[in-house]
Amino acid sequence: MNKQLMYLKQALDKHPELKYQISLNSWQTDFLRFYQSQTNYNISKDSISLEVLLYKGKKSCDFSIDHPERDKIDTALATALDMIDSMPEDPDFVDVEDDLSMAQPRDVPNNIEAIPLEQKTKILSHIAKRAAEYDFEIYGSFFCNYQSWRMLNSNALDKSSTQSPIYLEVKAVHKKNQVTVLHTFGGEDFSIFDEASFTNDLLTKIQAAQNPITDVEPGKYEVILAPRCLAEFVQYLSYGMSAQAVDQHSSFFEGKVDEKIFPELIDISDDPTDEEMIRQDYGAQGHIYRPLKLIEKGYFRAFMCDQYYHYKLGFPKNGNVGTCLKIAPGKSSLEDMISSVERGLFISSLHYMNFINAKATSLTGLTRDGTFLIENGQITKVVNNLRFTERISRILENTCELESKAYSIPFSSNYAEFSVRTTKAPHAKVKDFNITSSTKTI
Amino acid sequence: MEQKIKNIVTKLQQPDTAFADVRITFTDYESILFMNTNLKNYSNSPASPAIGIRVLIDGCFGFAGSKDLSDSSIERLIAKARANARQGAKFQKEKVTFPALPAAFGEYQHIPEIDPFALPKAEKLGYLKNLAEAIKPQAQIVHSLVSAQFERQEKYYANSEGSYSHSIVFNTLPLMLVVAAADSGIQTRTWPGHMSAGRGGFELFYKQQFEQNTERIIKEATDLLHAPVITDQKADIIIGAGHLALQLHESVGHATEADRILGQEISYAGKTFVKPEMLTNFKYGSDLVNIYSDSTDPRGLGYQPLDDEGVPGRRVDIIKNGILMDLQNSRHIAHKLGLQPSANMKAPFADDFPLVRMTNFCLAPGKGTLAELIANTEYGYYLDFTKTWSIDDNRNNFQFTTEIGYKIEHGKITGIVKEPTYYGITQEFWNACDAICGEEEWAYHSTFTCGKGEPGQIMRLSHGVAPARFKNINVSVKI
Repeated sequence: MNKQLMYLKQALDKHPELKYQISLNSWQTDFLRFYQSQTNYNISKDSISLEVLLYKGKKSCDFSIDHPERDKIDTALATALDMIDSMPEDPDFVDVEDDLSMAQPRDVPNNIEAIPLEQKTKILSHIAKRAAEYDFEIYGSFFCNYQSWRMLNSNALDKSSTQSPIYLEVKAVHKKNQVTVLHTFGGEDFSIFDEASFTNDLLTKIQAAQNPITDVEPGKYEVILAPRCLAEFVQYLSYGMSAQAVDQHSSFFEGKVDEKIFPELIDISDDPTDEEMIRQDYGAQGHIYRPLKLIEKGYFRAFMCDQYYHYKLGFPKNGNVGTCLKIAPGKSSLEDMISSVERGLFISSLHYMNFINAKATSLTGLTRDGTFLIENGQITKVVNNLRFTERISRILENTCELESKAYSIPFSSNYAEFSVRTTKAPHAKVKDFNITSSTKTI
Repeated sequence: MEQKIKNIVTKLQQPDTAFADVRITFTDYESILFMNTNLKNYSNSPASPAIGIRVLIDGCFGFAGSKDLSDSSIERLIAKARANARQGAKFQKEKVTFPALPAAFGEYQHIPEIDPFALPKAEKLGYLKNLAEAIKPQAQIVHSLVSAQFERQEKYYANSEGSYSHSIVFNTLPLMLVVAAADSGIQTRTWPGHMSAGRGGFELFYKQQFEQNTERIIKEATDLLHAPVITDQKADIIIGAGHLALQLHESVGHATEADRILGQEISYAGKTFVKPEMLTNFKYGSDLVNIYSDSTDPRGLGYQPLDDEGVPGRRVDIIKNGILMDLQNSRHIAHKLGLQPSANMKAPFADDFPLVRMTNFCLAPGKGTLAELIANTEYGYYLDFTKTWSIDDNRNNFQFTTEIGYKIEHGKITGIVKEPTYYGITQEFWNACDAICGEEEWAYHSTFTCGKGEPGQIMRLSHGVAPARFKNINVSVKI
């Protein structure tokens, strides 16, 4: 298929009046969905698409072709060339990406081949058997993607990248009372997956879920946020760290570069080089993706900014898009953090968050997959899923301790392109977390 | 293409295969975005192909999908789908079974009033540019956008029972938005709101009266900057149809998808508080509440001659006079629960596997106009234009914020409130419904982006609703 990309490049190079950015994206997945400790679906999917963005002066148009072939390319290009002169201008456009820095080459195995369906099924059978000892069944997904990307542009940019994320999500659900706990593995290196350790960690959570179920009243609670929760809050917060959000007047961080916003223990970076995470070599327009400090000891340091907004807003540009976020660990042990809570909550996972006001970082959402009551420093009960209405900025302001270890947490993205990313975070102890209602259900 | 898809089905009819189906889609898609009067994006994806092959072997489904419709690709997909099913059957306790259906046939070609793909680009862009100019940043308006998404999809379906259908539909998603800013923060107003899509072409811009509402959203966004918030603990609320469509979608639509009952969507989308034993006895809403799934109405995006496993389109009463009567299901789940297949198995593109999906999921109309309902309300709020939505894993506890609330006192609108937020528990909420407006206010409100499933799918679907009133709802959440 690279032939199609080069064919298009040759065609475009005959038009020196054009600036262009073209990319070829190849994606495939082998996806095992399971429920009630059995297969739901085994799904295989693949796609190849060609993405084309053309500029003539400040006029632009773009098109994509799924499963590109020469006749389709010829037709689509002719149509685009025919209409580009009639396009209204975007006065803010200056140039396509001109960063030609290359990422370090790395070997990326095809994990679809490395972890065949038989192996996935075998692992799940083992986990299901252990969970059944506690009257739990397992639900979730186990899949691998293999995706490669090559981008060319009229500034001689020619970059390629490959990813092969692995994602295992196991929800153990009690057969009678529906109490649920979640455990995940994600990354690109399956050699670090330890089935016994994964299963034991899941069983530890299952054991905590044996406690009686209770409900709690709305109010302010001292909470221990599991890494998944802190990671998700920071993902939402990172929206405001983009130059695009500033341009749309919806950034919490607008006008706050080098301002101290959070406590000193808050340190957030976007780091594509961490080998425990799913790595990324380049940003969406081909700029090299390098570690970027976003929050340093509570100070906001930089916006994620591409070429377009660099010219429009004057911010320094980088290739960062916030897909490799890391919250630096602190100094506490999880055991000490829990034991220091007189009456509070342990929150394992979040669900259905949505901004109420992005600029104010206010949002609502719910807990799920294991919410626990902490009394006198110990987890004593399972709590119904709860609704919170909070400001992320306030959650970070109220963070008083971070665990001394950070965990790589995988998240699957289910809107538009299906992808997986990891965020690294420790457990956090947060005061005055605003629970606004109970769901009355598990 | 009809012969091609039937040939593939023939190849799939092996002695070990209990059921097989094939879908092929070709989708034209065009997206236009003006931001602050500048054309920020004009993109198109012409005739994007997709194929999906599904087989049931040893009581397990296997699926393979691709954008490549070549013969060699199809051979590969057949082999992959079969291998996926066979391997899946090795990790299975309960076999998937369902009774055969008679062969069914469907043919449908929708013709929009104004084909957006045939409309001259200059005319299309000129109209949208004028809208963008009308809402350009000025005074306290700091950001604006006008967007249009057009889709034309041709679809072929065939299965091993001899069923076949072919359809062509046009869908359009028009939207405009303004953002106002002051020291007090930012406020947004959209038109026509969250569920602005519809079956049709460019005519939706005219039918939804975009030009007539540019000044309104500018004024309301600006006024909201200095509007009060609700200070009541509880109040009667009238929910406008655009937002009520989402309330219906989240708290009844998804809750009555039977695959959630079995936990097939726990991993991502979640489960539901609804249980099979609630059928015919659970008081889901007040006696006024009648809710149905109707894939036979061509006005909605959920219209289909056959669903994606060969079930002819149906109208099914989900809630009748407030009582839960039926579920949206698949053939397998219907058989398991002793129900009839509801024609709700769908996927947005052929390379997506079918899931239990809302089609046209509707709240039946009551009586009277919105003006009459407001006039009959002593004190409360009229809320519309979705801003934030959230509902729990069991579809039980929801919280919504709308862009604007109109305060009602003695039957008249007396002012506006910003970020009105209400929450409730699904059963309590629908039982608090004491009025639903009539046919004259009833219309379809549709979306392109209902997310469900892993790998993720975003479905096009519709909700037919009229504004309705809910008594004594909790509006006390402070942000």
